[in-house]
Amino acid sequence: MSTLHVLSHSPFTDTRLNSCLRLLGSADAILLCGDATYALSASTAPRQALEARADNLLLFVLDEDAKARNLPLPEWATAVDYPRLVALSVQYDKVNTWL
Amino acid sequence: MAKSMLIISRQAPWAGPSAREALDIALAGGAFDLPLAMLFLDDGVLQLLPDQAAGELQQKDITANLQALSMFGVDDLFACHTSLAERGMGPTELNVETLQVLRDQEIAALIDRYDQVITL
Repeated sequence: MSTLHVLSHSPFTDTRLNSCLRLLGSADAILLCGDATYALSASTAPRQALEARADNLLLFVLDEDAKARNLPLPEWATAVDYPRLVALSVQYDKVNTWL
Repeated sequence: MAKSMLIISRQAPWAGPSAREALDIALAGGAFDLPLAMLFLDDGVLQLLPDQAAGELQQKDITANLQALSMFGVDDLFACHTSLAERGMGPTELNVETLQVLRDQEIAALIDRYDQVITL
């Protein structure tokens, strides 16, 4: 079964992203929204952690949250809008929101 | 067949409501015979330390409720090996008897196995 992991907290105050990356299954994907999009900030540890896994990581980013924070998307991330987010949540067997 | 649920508890016990709420979900689900399990991850493993004294903070002791999980039919209790090791906690000193300690890969498989996952 596949899981969509939804993260919305800043990776600089909390270990959610690190733990999620540790526990990520091979069919899983990550969606960054809200302050979690700061993980894409250049030259940071969270960005490097994502980049190190870019080859086999399916990463979605809520476009408006990244744009609002002036965070350009790397080519290995996929921008999504809210309708696409809803579609993803249906497409995956389950959604794990890291509250 | 009821959907199976994994509750991932990853907050320390006394600083906010999350730990208690995760436990309440487990106890309520157990009372209705739902097939569910709990995983203690990150700071959530700190709930498992023995001899805590929540009364000092005028809070109710949730560690006693942890013991009640098996009475409510929630026997599948797991803790993250990495989270325990990071906090200097050994599996032998934990407050919950039926706890199984899992490595990262085993946790990925665990999440995969359940129909629904709640992370608090």
